[in-house]
Amino acid sequence: MLLEAQNVAKAFGDFHAVAGADLSVDEGDIIGLIGPNGAGKSTFFNCLAGDTTPTGGRISFAGQDVTTASPEAHARLGVGRTFQVPATFEDMTVLDNVMVGAFLRHPHRRDAREHARGIVELTGLNSVAHSRARSLGTPGRKRLEIARVLATNPRLMLLDESLAGLTPTELQEAIKLVRRIHEMGVTIVIVEHIMEVIMTLTRRVLVFNQGHVIASGKPEDVVKDETVITAYLGHGSRRHRSET
Amino acid sequence: MLFLQVIVGGLLLGAIYALFSSGLTLIWGMMNFINFAHGEFVMLGMYVSLLVVVWLSGGPAAFGFAAAVALFVLGVIIYAGLIRHVMRGPMLAQILSTFGLALLLRYTAFFIFSANFVSLPQTSLSGTIDVGGILMPLAQLVSGVLAIVLTVGLHFMLTRTTIGSRLLAVSEDRNAAMLMGIRPNRMQALAWGLSAGAAGIAGALMAISYPWSPSVGETFGLTAFVVVALGGFGSVPGALYAGLIIGLIQAISAFWLGPIYKDIVVYALFVALLWLRPQGLMGKA
Amino acid sequence: MKKPSVVRPKILLLAACLLIYPLVFSDAFYRDIGVTFLLAAISASAWNIVGGYAGQVSVGHSMFYGIGAYAPLLFYQLWGWPPMFGIPIGIVCSLLLAIVIGAPTLRLTGHYFSMATIAVAELIRIFTGTWDLVGAAIGLQGPAVARGWWDLTFRGELPYYYIFLGVLAVLLYVTYAIERRRFGYYLGAIKAGERAARSLGVPVRKTKIEALMLSATFTSIAGSLYSIKTGFIDPESGFGILISVQMVIIAALGGAGTLFGPLVGALILIPLQTATNTWFGGSGSGLTYILYGGIIVLIARFEPGGLFELWERIAPARWKSGHAA
Repeated sequence: MLLEAQNVAKAFGDFHAVAGADLSVDEGDIIGLIGPNGAGKSTFFNCLAGDTTPTGGRISFAGQDVTTASPEAHARLGVGRTFQVPATFEDMTVLDNVMVGAFLRHPHRRDAREHARGIVELTGLNSVAHSRARSLGTPGRKRLEIARVLATNPRLMLLDESLAGLTPTELQEAIKLVRRIHEMGVTIVIVEHIMEVIMTLTRRVLVFNQGHVIASGKPEDVVKDETVITAYLGHGSRRHRSET
Repeated sequence: MLFLQVIVGGLLLGAIYALFSSGLTLIWGMMNFINFAHGEFVMLGMYVSLLVVVWLSGGPAAFGFAAAVALFVLGVIIYAGLIRHVMRGPMLAQILSTFGLALLLRYTAFFIFSANFVSLPQTSLSGTIDVGGILMPLAQLVSGVLAIVLTVGLHFMLTRTTIGSRLLAVSEDRNAAMLMGIRPNRMQALAWGLSAGAAGIAGALMAISYPWSPSVGETFGLTAFVVVALGGFGSVPGALYAGLIIGLIQAISAFWLGPIYKDIVVYALFVALLWLRPQGLMGKA
Repeated sequence: MKKPSVVRPKILLLAACLLIYPLVFSDAFYRDIGVTFLLAAISASAWNIVGGYAGQVSVGHSMFYGIGAYAPLLFYQLWGWPPMFGIPIGIVCSLLLAIVIGAPTLRLTGHYFSMATIAVAELIRIFTGTWDLVGAAIGLQGPAVARGWWDLTFRGELPYYYIFLGVLAVLLYVTYAIERRRFGYYLGAIKAGERAARSLGVPVRKTKIEALMLSATFTSIAGSLYSIKTGFIDPESGFGILISVQMVIIAALGGAGTLFGPLVGALILIPLQTATNTWFGGSGSGLTYILYGGIIVLIARFEPGGLFELWERIAPARWKSGHAA
């Protein structure tokens, strides 16, 4: 078991963003997390990455309790994450962005640079390696975020809607990249709205709604699940009812 | 009896602190933006009062109104010409913008009015009254009470009126507010006007009783920081309580330790606060 | 970033200009401007480490400057020590203050950090004015006549000029070395976004404290150099808010977070300041600060990256030196 989250909860005052969620990830897994907007996926992700401390439950990574560990500690242990809204270092070049990640395992500039070059090549950012991050569009930034995390040599990557907002061609490229990273032996948990991504990439899917995991299983089974369908459609139908 | 007088005096001055600090906290709460020139707005309110008295022989009502209006206009201009352009920029630009403004206003006042202390000539509010054995200058009493009324009024305006809920909507979620047909820029300009106006009228209230020079803005600006840190960033009621508390602490430390220590005690309190509870003691985080 | 080879000759040219300046302009007036320029460049470069590179905008750096300035004269007055003995003592005190202040305040971000630094500096300034041991409001004086070279009390400006130039060279080299190390990349990452930096394993608090300590060290040295040269210090000239303001404005004018930004800023601002002071006499100081305020506002509004970034944008490509193509 690489990552195990038991009964994780996060409340902001009276609002329970995550109300007791479980997740167990084996080495080599590639797992999808889906659910309607505001279901608590991102908050759950933040708990897993150490970005926010859960108000309940327990999280362990590679046998170590990391429930209250800092994001830095998570990174050192091998948990990398991307952000839903890309948080690239705008005034730095693409290569320098990746180098910041590379420095985690390669303290010397020459080695970090070497490592970062390889990652930039792998992620297809070679042509923009010396451009500033701010000059990239959203797809480029999302790709850069993945590259930057990859440079920290993570064992587990948490991808938060890293493939959203891409054109169909870009999407195919990105799916290829994620698959490639997975083949390199990196375990992946991915939050995504695009069902195509979930169906083609993942082997197991967890469905979030109102802070709970309401269903899990193989992607093709989950999409047929009654509770899942109501969770997605229920949104619309409830709104409909309140209007009439 | 003397000690009681010190306490009442401290509370009355604290009420004015509350008034100008509520302006600072309004901007902070709405835009996550600290105005380093806020103390200078108070200082300008004092000089506007002086000019109205000297040139137009206006009374307290006239110069109080003039200071409020003049600073309101200045606040809107500063928002439109400067703040609007830097508030989404780099942190350095955000901080430098109002910091530079503070220097500009302070030394322009210095250049025009010189570094000397000035005070208003006698007004209709001169004299003292006896409240149950405590001798209070009438001016301080009126200013203090008025400052509390205005601060509470600002709070009600923000919480109970349409314009207040629009301001709040912009601070909660700019984009959602836009979808509701609210223009964030207008609301934020209004907030800057209100903030500076509150500082201006606080300046006028203070000018009645205390002498001042261009450099008082720096002290008032820091005092407002302390009040806002104590009362909670973004909370007007918090600013009211905290302003009264700071006024009290200053009066008591000046009384017991000597006048020079009043700022030391308050700044030390500020540093301790930032250390222990950066989100403010009473207000929302 | 491997820099093109045109950079080195330019730096050598700059160094040569600085080295021969006081020999070409031997008039005391011009040498004094030179010394003032170097001191301003040192202070602003020291601020630049934490304010520019790490993006933690301190507006209370006079706290370190003042400690550095007081230490040499304090121990001279107390026990007759040569002022330069005060330099390391000032550094140690500044480092302690950096740790004590940095630990809580660097947890704060953005505006909060600026508010905290300004409050601490003001607190120290007012407190110094009430403390008799350090001369209270009157201040401290250094040796009137040198007892030997070790008092570093010279008649002319020339020795100071070269001492200051040496310190500036060391500081610029340290900054250059930071730029090329992990530390420098981490500072940039923290400035660009703490949350993202932490997610990549950057030890944000430790890195920030280290930057503040390094910055405090050189700011303290700048203060010491100032008080040793002028032989006098009081609360306003040591801890005054305008001391902090000058560091910020010079670095921001040239380009905060760039190696030569503070140098460029000082090169423009110091002659300008001297000119307004000379032309307008007694009222000059007021005008100087109006000018300061105006410049700061204009930078913030139109060119937050400073002149350096403006240059990068408008200059023809062949003149540029910085980024690798």
